Amino acid sequence: MATMRLALPWEARISSQEQERGSRVGLAENPASGLAPASGEVRPEDRELAAACLAGEMHGYERLYSLYGNRMKSVARNLLGSASDAEDAVQETFLKVQRSIGTFRAQSSFVTWTFRILINTCYDARRSRMRKKEVTGDGTDESPMPERRAPGAHPSLKLALERAMEKLSDHQRQIFLLYEVEGFRHAEIAGMLEITETASKNTLFQAKRNLRTMLEPPRSREAEAR
Amino acid sequence: MNEMNVSCADRERIFMDGSAAEWAALEAHAASCAECGEELRIWKSMSAAAGELRQEWETPYLWTRIERSLAEQMAEKPSRLRAWLNSIGASKVQWQTVAALFVLVVVSGTAWKILHVPPGDQNQVFLKNSAVNDVERAEAAYQKAIDKLDAQARPQLETAATPLMASYREKLLVLDNAIGELRAEAGQNPANAHLRRQLLAMYQEKQDTLQEILETKR
Repeated sequence: MATMRLALPWEARISSQEQERGSRVGLAENPASGLAPASGEVRPEDRELAAACLAGEMHGYERLYSLYGNRMKSVARNLLGSASDAEDAVQETFLKVQRSIGTFRAQSSFVTWTFRILINTCYDARRSRMRKKEVTGDGTDESPMPERRAPGAHPSLKLALERAMEKLSDHQRQIFLLYEVEGFRHAEIAGMLEITETASKNTLFQAKRNLRTMLEPPRSREAEAR
Repeated sequence: MNEMNVSCADRERIFMDGSAAEWAALEAHAASCAECGEELRIWKSMSAAAGELRQEWETPYLWTRIERSLAEQMAEKPSRLRAWLNSIGASKVQWQTVAALFVLVVVSGTAWKILHVPPGDQNQVFLKNSAVNDVERAEAAYQKAIDKLDAQARPQLETAATPLMASYREKLLVLDNAIGELRAEAGQNPANAHLRRQLLAMYQEKQDTLQEILETKR
């Protein structure tokens, strides 16, 4: 695997934007952001959402969309690389939730279950896209280049990170996206991907270590220069 | 509160699964350790840059689209089969039970067919010798290809302890048993086309399952 050697001004962009572990804990206190309390219990709002959707009440689905629609779109866009594909995947997810709500077991969070369906839907869409490419003989890379994003922090690091993420394995990229980009906790990721929390932590660490190698730090270059 | 002491050797462990107190201790240590200070900065700057990859964009039309398609789906009359399955609670039946029933139906159906074929129809059901040889050669090649697929998927199947992999393991066990039974029957009745088709269907199912496992791995 080719590694990228990019000169990145690391120190310039960490001062005001630290994504502390503490801020992630804070997500759980905001119903619009966290999916489940840290204890792993299912929150009452989650149960109400599930009950409304099970009863076929449209307002249940509307509430689900208003609380998590943006996050669902973002997850799907990061997995599929295009806004329109992401919107289609979100729509398909709602249809699948409605079709299979009868099989939902309240042992886990309804919202986590919904995100699991979304992730599977995105992977189905990617597989279908790959099959189409095989049929048409288009041998381009399976991961499309993400669409250009709105300018935010440091463009060079964001761009380098996006490119480096494409070189991660699907599993590592998925966990990195869910944790670092979307702000889910390991317990939530474990529920979505049907893995253990420890596996989620280990995979995230491996993903970050790989990214760290790909985004060569100034220290190594300075050492080489010496 | 006692201050926690950490060293450079603890850094990676804390990056992977450190508690809040350990992170604080690492920060304190990094203030006087250039290497840890730089690693910590890089680690955090990756998280900061990743946080900015989160995208939000306005889609005022999307909910309307979803609502319309949901309403259409809810208005659809469930099929008779689904209604019947729901009425007997079969929608909640585990797939293992369905697979076992499927195998039972296939095996008993095949046996019934063999016993009830009119003498005049023998040529339609039973293959001629040359065709049997062709089928057996093709089957052997197919089985070999599936075995290769099996060998690729096996490490993932055996090492992963997820419920999904456990389900796949059970499914493959059921399929292997069914394949074994059908092959035994085909051995006794090599010219029976129905048995061959059922065997092919089982191989196809096994191939699809192994491919799903490999895709899960990827």
